[in-house]
Amino acid sequence: MEKIANKVRETARLALANGEVNKILGWKKGDFWYDSYPAFITEEEGTASLIWDSFCVANLSKYLIEQLKEDIKVGVFLKGCDARAFNQLLKDNRVDRDKVVIYGLPCPGMIDPEKVKKAGLAKGLLDVQKSEDEVVFITKEGEQKFSAREFAYDKCLTCQYPNPVVYDELLAEEVERNNTTEYFYQDVEEIEKMSPDERFAYWVEQFSKCIRCNACRNVCPACSCEKCIFDNSKANVAGKAKVDSEEQFFHIVRAYHVAGRCVDCGECSRVCPVGIPLAKLNRKIIKDITEFYGEHNAGVNPSLDAPLETFKLEDIDPFETRAKGGK
Amino acid sequence: MKVLKKEKFPQIWQAINQAYELYLPIEKDDRVNFAQWTEGETVNLEALKTEISPKDVIFPQSETYLKFESDGKKLQLESVESENREYVLFGVRSCDAVSFNLIDNVFLREPIDRLYEKRRNKGTIVSLACSEPEENCFCSSFQIKPEEASPGVDVAAWDLGDKILWKPVTEKGQVLTQKFAQLMEDASQQDQEELIKLQNAIKEKVKELPLASVDPKVIKGELKEIFESKVWDELSQSCLGCGACTYICPTCHCYDIQDFAGGNCGERFRCWDSCMFSEFTLMAHGNPRTTQKQRFRQRFMHKLVYYPNNHGSYACVGCGRCIEKCPVNMNIVKVIKRLGGEG
Repeated sequence: MEKIANKVRETARLALANGEVNKILGWKKGDFWYDSYPAFITEEEGTASLIWDSFCVANLSKYLIEQLKEDIKVGVFLKGCDARAFNQLLKDNRVDRDKVVIYGLPCPGMIDPEKVKKAGLAKGLLDVQKSEDEVVFITKEGEQKFSAREFAYDKCLTCQYPNPVVYDELLAEEVERNNTTEYFYQDVEEIEKMSPDERFAYWVEQFSKCIRCNACRNVCPACSCEKCIFDNSKANVAGKAKVDSEEQFFHIVRAYHVAGRCVDCGECSRVCPVGIPLAKLNRKIIKDITEFYGEHNAGVNPSLDAPLETFKLEDIDPFETRAKGGK
Repeated sequence: MKVLKKEKFPQIWQAINQAYELYLPIEKDDRVNFAQWTEGETVNLEALKTEISPKDVIFPQSETYLKFESDGKKLQLESVESENREYVLFGVRSCDAVSFNLIDNVFLREPIDRLYEKRRNKGTIVSLACSEPEENCFCSSFQIKPEEASPGVDVAAWDLGDKILWKPVTEKGQVLTQKFAQLMEDASQQDQEELIKLQNAIKEKVKELPLASVDPKVIKGELKEIFESKVWDELSQSCLGCGACTYICPTCHCYDIQDFAGGNCGERFRCWDSCMFSEFTLMAHGNPRTTQKQRFRQRFMHKLVYYPNNHGSYACVGCGRCIEKCPVNMNIVKVIKRLGGEG
């Protein structure tokens, strides 16, 4: 990845130097091994601090909404999932393609710091390096090698689009697409197998953890409304109380609102500070849409009509064909 | 000083639970948070810090305090009193214990917040020293000593392996100790020596932490100068405007007042609020903070400048939760360093 990181820095430096863009959105490194964070760079010298490593998980495409309010041209580094998010923002008319230069980064999968911590490897950890399918943990005492899959984010394990689906320049060779489709809906199927009562109890329990911080909503590339209804005090639905009904209402409304537009980036689950597996809700809806209307992967091809935004006479009636009863 | 053997834990939880509400770090789905103890819960006193700070126990995230009903002509108001049970909060780390004092500075000075005062007075706080500080801890930057009893706690405890050392420091702590003295033993000379050893070891570990050199005093200059610093433009760009940092933070204490309105009757409650939210500070005339930069600046100015000006100490205890939980790895350490001219 370090070789590609050099290319990231050089690409950014040149783009600013020759005036191709006014600003670069990339990642920088902070105090800790896992601390790769969004960087907004306008000066050529600043590009030296850019990085590309196994913790560049933050999606930079949603920042474009705010950044493009200024009349500037922005260069942005996007991974596979970020590029799908970009396409969805494009489809939702939230960004202007002409004002963005996309540098695509085929993504080998990102490392989940929580998994590292749970494995008891975080203590004294100085650096984490990844090469091919291996991850190397470096401490003062020495190095330890593991299979990278063991520490990848769950969302990366099922990722079908590691290569950017939209870019102006691709900075590395495409990585092999993950073909383990049999695992793709495993998390959803586990929930589907439950009885209605079990399923209800499961989600009540999960939502009861919610602290109403809105991290899931704010990170979500499909949640791009100018003003969210939950922030609009006049809408009279903006209950901030930490009570079950408000929490459930918020998450269910959100899941339905992003239905058909969710790019399955899994960021909602990643950022939830209390560990609610929110992506499962969205993935259930993706699975249903696929079963009802055929495969549709939001953000892969923005010129395609989204199934929930169009109506065809031959569309099935889900209630008739699939009504299962239950609660 | 007393000693409580860990094998007696189940017994003491049961005993305390008879006389008080008992709050402990409880493990569920691999995550540890303070919650009310009930039989069968997995208590985890090994995890250094809970995912969310225990401030929810002294300052609940949501609390209803008024019911109202109108028949069209007359409005009836009824105050809702919280249940009158005393509680024990067990296993609070030094940083979180100090955060309670910081919240007290706001809510317990005139005009006193009666709701908060009532709940706060019902609590007996048992702290637990941090035998194994973590990499993102920086409490020493705020002169907090994780090896000692933090000011304000009622009982201080230290983990000595198969037992904990138990030292009542306030009258409330004495009362708690006396009630359950039959489950404890007197500490021996050897226990005292072990304590000193443990404290010295903690001090050494704290010195070695990667963030040990973080110093909020690097932020110098006039309030106006800091307020207008270019740093805010730069750092706030990555902020998503979510409230994760404020809700897991032990010192954030802003709240909103809202109604559950249902036609002619309803309930009024208060709930945590976040200065990161766009409708925070929304008033009849509009909102004085319209950009994320202003909201971001507010949060850190409050912790690092306004609060110290008003109360003489920083409103951060270096627990490191925001370092761990911010979706985009922006946090107060980055802000302190950058305001101090680093980077």
